[in-house]
Amino acid sequence: MNKRLAAWGVILLGLAAYFFVDMAGDWGRLSGGWGNLRRFFAESLWPPNWSVLEAQSYPVCDATFEFTCSVAWIGMWETIKIAFVATVIGFLVALPLSVLAASNLSPIEIALPVRILLAGMRSLPSIIWAVLFMIIFDIGALAGIFAMSFYTVGYLGKLQFESMEGIKNAPLEAAKAMGMSRSETAWLVAIPESANNLLSHVLFMFEYNVRHGTVIGLVGAGGIGLYINTYLKLAQYDKVVALLLVVFVVVVLIDAVSMVVRSAVTEEGDVERPSWSSLFLPASISSAMHPTPMRKDADVHESE
Amino acid sequence: MKEILVHLHDVSVGYDEPLIRDINIEIESGDVIAVLGPSGIGKTTLLRTIAGLVRPLEGEVELGVPSRGGLGYIPQRLGLVGNSTVRSNVEMGTRVGLSRWYLPFLPVPERQRRYAERAMEDLGIAHLADQPVRILSGGQQRRVATAKTLAQRPKLVLADEFLGELDDDNVDIVMNTVRAAIEAQNSAMVMVEHHEELAKLVANRVWRITEGRLVEEVME
Repeated sequence: MNKRLAAWGVILLGLAAYFFVDMAGDWGRLSGGWGNLRRFFAESLWPPNWSVLEAQSYPVCDATFEFTCSVAWIGMWETIKIAFVATVIGFLVALPLSVLAASNLSPIEIALPVRILLAGMRSLPSIIWAVLFMIIFDIGALAGIFAMSFYTVGYLGKLQFESMEGIKNAPLEAAKAMGMSRSETAWLVAIPESANNLLSHVLFMFEYNVRHGTVIGLVGAGGIGLYINTYLKLAQYDKVVALLLVVFVVVVLIDAVSMVVRSAVTEEGDVERPSWSSLFLPASISSAMHPTPMRKDADVHESE
Repeated sequence: MKEILVHLHDVSVGYDEPLIRDINIEIESGDVIAVLGPSGIGKTTLLRTIAGLVRPLEGEVELGVPSRGGLGYIPQRLGLVGNSTVRSNVEMGTRVGLSRWYLPFLPVPERQRRYAERAMEDLGIAHLADQPVRILSGGQQRRVATAKTLAQRPKLVLADEFLGELDDDNVDIVMNTVRAAIEAQNSAMVMVEHHEELAKLVANRVWRITEGRLVEEVME
C-alpha cells in the first residue's frame, strides 16, 4: 500500500478515536446501562403486541379482509401512498434540475445556482419540512407528501446530476459536434446513458421514503408514523415494536421488488438477477449458495 | 460544383503544446481525405479541432457548413448511446435536420424516419433496429455509428478510425455506402486511419503528419 495513504489512514483513525473518547465522557455511567436496557426490553418491548394487525373496533369494519381495517395496514398503506406520490413528484422535479446542475450539460453559471438550490433542499431535515408544511396544510398526509417531495428533490437531484456527469464523453462530444441542442443532448444522450443509475436512485428513494414515513409521521404528517407517535405517547412500546417490525418487512419486500425491477431493465448481466437469500444473508454467504453463472462475454460487447 | 467546406488558416493544434503547426489547407466537397501518421502525433486532435471540440492554439478554422447538422463526427469510441436502440441512435442523426425547437421526446417526422431506415438497410443493420446498442458486437456498433452519420446527411464527415474491427466484407459495404452518400450529397469526409493500405484505397487525398507538420501527399 502507498505509504502516504497508510499514514493518512492512521491519522484519520487516530483523530476519530480521539473525538470518540472525548465525546463519550464518563464511561462509569454505562455500568448499569445494559441492565436497564435488558429490563426495558423484557418489560415493555417484547413480545410485540400484534393487536395492531387486528381490525379496529371503531369504525366498524365492513371490508372483505378484516386485516385491512387494522392500524398496521391503514398506517402502512398511507405511508406507502405518501412515499410513492412524493417519489414521483420528486423525480419529475429533480430530473430537469439535475440536467441543469450537471456540469457536462449546462454552463457553470446555470449549474452552480441549481446545485445551491438542491443543497438547500437537502440541508433542512425532513422533519423540519414536515413541520413547515403542517403549518400550511394542517396535520395529515398532504403535509407528509410535500415534506417528502422537497427533500426527495434535493437528494435525487444530487444523485442524478452526479450520474449524468459520470457518463462517457464520446456520445456527448458526437452530439456537440453534430450541433445538437442542450435539450436534445440531455433527453437523447445523457438521460438514456445514465438510465440504469437513475432508475436505481428512484427505487432507492422510494424505499428510503417508506422508511422515513415513520419519522415525518412522528410530527403528525400522516402515515404509520402518526400511529407510532400515538403509541409512544401512551407508552405502549410493545405496539411500537410491532409497527416497526411491519415497516421492516415492507422495506425488505420493496428492496426485493426493486432488485427484480432493476435486473429486468439491465439485461445481459449488468446486474445479476437477485436470489431471495441475498436479501437476508451477507453477500459472502449468499454468493456461496448461488454461484454466479458465467457471463456470455463472447458475443456481448459493452459500448465504449 | 465544388464548394469549400473547411478552411484552416495558419492553424496549430494541440493541448498545452502544439502537436501540428502552421496548417493551411482547404477541404472541398467530394474530398475523401485520409489522415495518416504514427500514434500520438495529433491526428485525432486535428479532427477534434475541425469538429469544434478543441480550440486551435493558433490560427482560425473557418467552417463553410451549417453549425447544426452540417458536420457528422464518428469518434474513436463511436459516441453511441448504449442503452438506446439502434433505431433511436440512427434517428438521433436525423434530428439535427429539424428545428432546434422540435421537442426531443417527439418521434421524428416521416421523412427523417425514412432517412434512418434507408441508412440502416444500406449498412445491413435493419434487422437489429430494436436491439439496444450495448449488446452488439464491435463491428455492428461501427455500422450503427456510420448509419447515424449517414442519416444525418452532413456536408462533412469526420471519422476517427471507424473502419477498425470490421471484417473485409463489412469494410467494403461501409465504404461503398459512405462513398455513394458523399457523391450523392456533394459532401466530404476526413478519416483518420491506421491501416494505410486500406485508407489509400478509399481516399482521393492523403494528409500525412510528420514532425509536427501536415503534408499533402500526391496520390499515384
